[in-house]
Amino acid sequence: MPELKFVRPIHIRPLPEGTQPVVSLKNVTKRFGKIIANDSITLDIYPGRIKALLGENGAGKSTMMSLLAGRYPPDEGVIEIDGNPMKFSSSKDAITAGIGMVYQHFMLVDSMTVAENVLLGQEGSFFINPKEMMKRVGDLAETYGLDIDPAAHISDLSMGERQLVEILKLLYRESRILIFDEPTAVLTPEETSKLFEALWRMSEQGKSIIFISHKLEEVIALADEIAILRHGKIEGEFDTNAIESKSDLASRMVGKEVLLEVNREPAQICEPVLEIRHLTGLGLTDINFRVRKGEVVAIVGVAGNGQKALIEAVTGLCKPPVDTVFIMQKPWRKFFAESTWNRSMCYIPEDRMGLATLRNQNMVDNLLLTTRKGFSKGPWLNKKRAEKDTLALIKKYDIRPGRIHALAWQLSGGNLQKAVLARELYREPRLIIAEQPTQGLDVSATEEVWSRLLEARGMAGILLVTGDLNEALQLADHIAVMYRGRILGMLPTSDKETPGKIGPLMAGVID
Amino acid sequence: MWEFLIPLFAATVQSGTPILYATLGEMMTEKGGVLNLGVEGIMSISALAAFWVSLVTGSPWLGFLAGGLGGMALSSLHGFVCISCLGNQVVSGLALTILGVGLTHFLGVSYVGLSAPGFFPFDFPLLSQIPVIGDIFFKHNMLVYISFVIPVLFWFFFKRTSLGMHVTATGEMPAAAAAAGLKPIALRYFAVTVGGFLIGLGGAYLSLAYMHLWSNGISGGRGWIAVALVIFAFWRPGRAVAGAYLFGGVMAFQLRLQAMGTNFPSSLLLMLPYLLTILALILSAWRGKRIDAPAALGTNIEPEG
Repeated sequence: MPELKFVRPIHIRPLPEGTQPVVSLKNVTKRFGKIIANDSITLDIYPGRIKALLGENGAGKSTMMSLLAGRYPPDEGVIEIDGNPMKFSSSKDAITAGIGMVYQHFMLVDSMTVAENVLLGQEGSFFINPKEMMKRVGDLAETYGLDIDPAAHISDLSMGERQLVEILKLLYRESRILIFDEPTAVLTPEETSKLFEALWRMSEQGKSIIFISHKLEEVIALADEIAILRHGKIEGEFDTNAIESKSDLASRMVGKEVLLEVNREPAQICEPVLEIRHLTGLGLTDINFRVRKGEVVAIVGVAGNGQKALIEAVTGLCKPPVDTVFIMQKPWRKFFAESTWNRSMCYIPEDRMGLATLRNQNMVDNLLLTTRKGFSKGPWLNKKRAEKDTLALIKKYDIRPGRIHALAWQLSGGNLQKAVLARELYREPRLIIAEQPTQGLDVSATEEVWSRLLEARGMAGILLVTGDLNEALQLADHIAVMYRGRILGMLPTSDKETPGKIGPLMAGVID
Repeated sequence: MWEFLIPLFAATVQSGTPILYATLGEMMTEKGGVLNLGVEGIMSISALAAFWVSLVTGSPWLGFLAGGLGGMALSSLHGFVCISCLGNQVVSGLALTILGVGLTHFLGVSYVGLSAPGFFPFDFPLLSQIPVIGDIFFKHNMLVYISFVIPVLFWFFFKRTSLGMHVTATGEMPAAAAAAGLKPIALRYFAVTVGGFLIGLGGAYLSLAYMHLWSNGISGGRGWIAVALVIFAFWRPGRAVAGAYLFGGVMAFQLRLQAMGTNFPSSLLLMLPYLLTILALILSAWRGKRIDAPAALGTNIEPEG
């Protein structure tokens, strides 16, 4: 496997015979309403080993870990610790049983110090002594070779350091089973390598580590054994040395069926709607490309390589340097000065429930967010017409629940995204900026979003920013790979060799 | 000069004390993440409760306790609405003020002009002998002396006890507290009720040690000053003391000005506390300093799942 970004700190350790699992899940099922998040899962975790739990978004990884962490009880099945069936009624029970969890979003109090965060709930006495607390935490960090200042406030720490604090919390509680929910999502590559070394050291000391991820290469680089979760079920469990290649693992993760495909008819390509010329600044270096009406250009890359800055420069969220960004053949400033609500640019942000919609407003008001100019006459807003059009959009896009008075937060991720898409396409845009448009969506919603975007090529050019390679390959005419603020390559998807070239470019490898 | 200043400063302590109790009470509540705008109403009701109990039992101490418990009861209502029913904290707090002030007017009308056994000034042994300091700080009633200790206890509670740390965590990030195995809901109830108790003591001070006889509108906007002061003090007890005495001083000075017969409009002076709060906020924003409000202040803990 030559394309690995990380050096494996250890060889894969064989499981000594007769080792008893510390944790066993037996036929554990969890439902949320009609959705089965975990379907009869059986899994053993052994001491001193790193187990990776691999699965796509929405496969049920986080649910399973929340069950282990005592956040909610399973509907069926049992969780055994050292062979004894356990019933957790709160996180405290799980902590006592030796299970510790590092959530994707850190559970740290920003205004408190490292020491206070580590010892929160574990102070041991009613009266506390800050100096003594810092010493205790400092000693602990030293024992495990973690470099952190116990007196620092969390708000002053980097993401990597915050993660160390989370790890310290678990170590202090003497957790034997450490669960990490996508721990590398917020880390730089250097921080990731450091984390891996720390994880490895802890496993050598006899801790069981569960590493949840959807990043293949990290899993291959770190785990002793891998369990694959798909649609809430365990699809396979094997040792890491049983894997022949990344694509082998990928095909196991997505299963035997082919990756989701759409039929992409070529569209007529017309005039450019977005042009970026020698854009340098905002963390970007010499970006050049254009998007024409009728085509889809995808930007791919590991998150945090400048995609965000590029989007902000194009959508007007921040100011790009003069004469670098041209939208509909007008300079940036002129375009935004003359911009109209329709037949212009639209933006489908990654953050659906923040940037795109107002969680406590209904469908009509959320529709009006970007289209209100189309419903207004002077100071008056024609709500009747807005309601009528909302209803029509709900029907057309099959947005559930099909009521116009449903509030944004009441919609599932897929339906919310369909609502955002419906609203933005209603504006008949000429340029669409779509950022991770199918992240966290199920297959049918993904398919729907894809086909709507392809259909929109009839009126617009599309800039698609995505972390999902398959999405880029399915939708785009050209794929630009971003690495550290540069575009390392602009590859046509019609070329059969393109899929193989993307991986190395994402890792910054140029032949 | 001293003949004028020393009595003025002594009166400052006297009129700053109820504000201090209420400010620390509101600060306690807010440290737990709950905004209670009902301070004005809670102070009114508890002033009446204290007055009534003292009148009936003849014991000002029982009255004082009743004031605290009255404040506790009314803020528990606020706690129930916000913490358990996830109601809007601003709306519930404002309703509490209107309810408390109105109810006090209604129930207290027959007591207007009556006086109940209260607390009277005495010279604190030894300390009152200190020149100037003794005259300003140690020739008051017992409730003033108690109020000297509370900010220290308050500081100690948050800096040196685990429970204080848990309350802080709940006000900053309830999810983190829950993940650490704490019970954020219970901790919020704790902050709201203990805070309500302190606010109630402030109310009791008004009817038992400050006015000595019952009159309508006894809280006179002090509850609102307390709410503003919590922000002015950046949620720190030491600054709360300074702020309470500053505004107490403004009130005392204003009374003196009126007594001296100057025609300086007193309502302008009474407005000063609010103006100072706004200035403090502008100043802190201008200097780019963080306003240390509890991060989860005013937001409810949504149930999971």
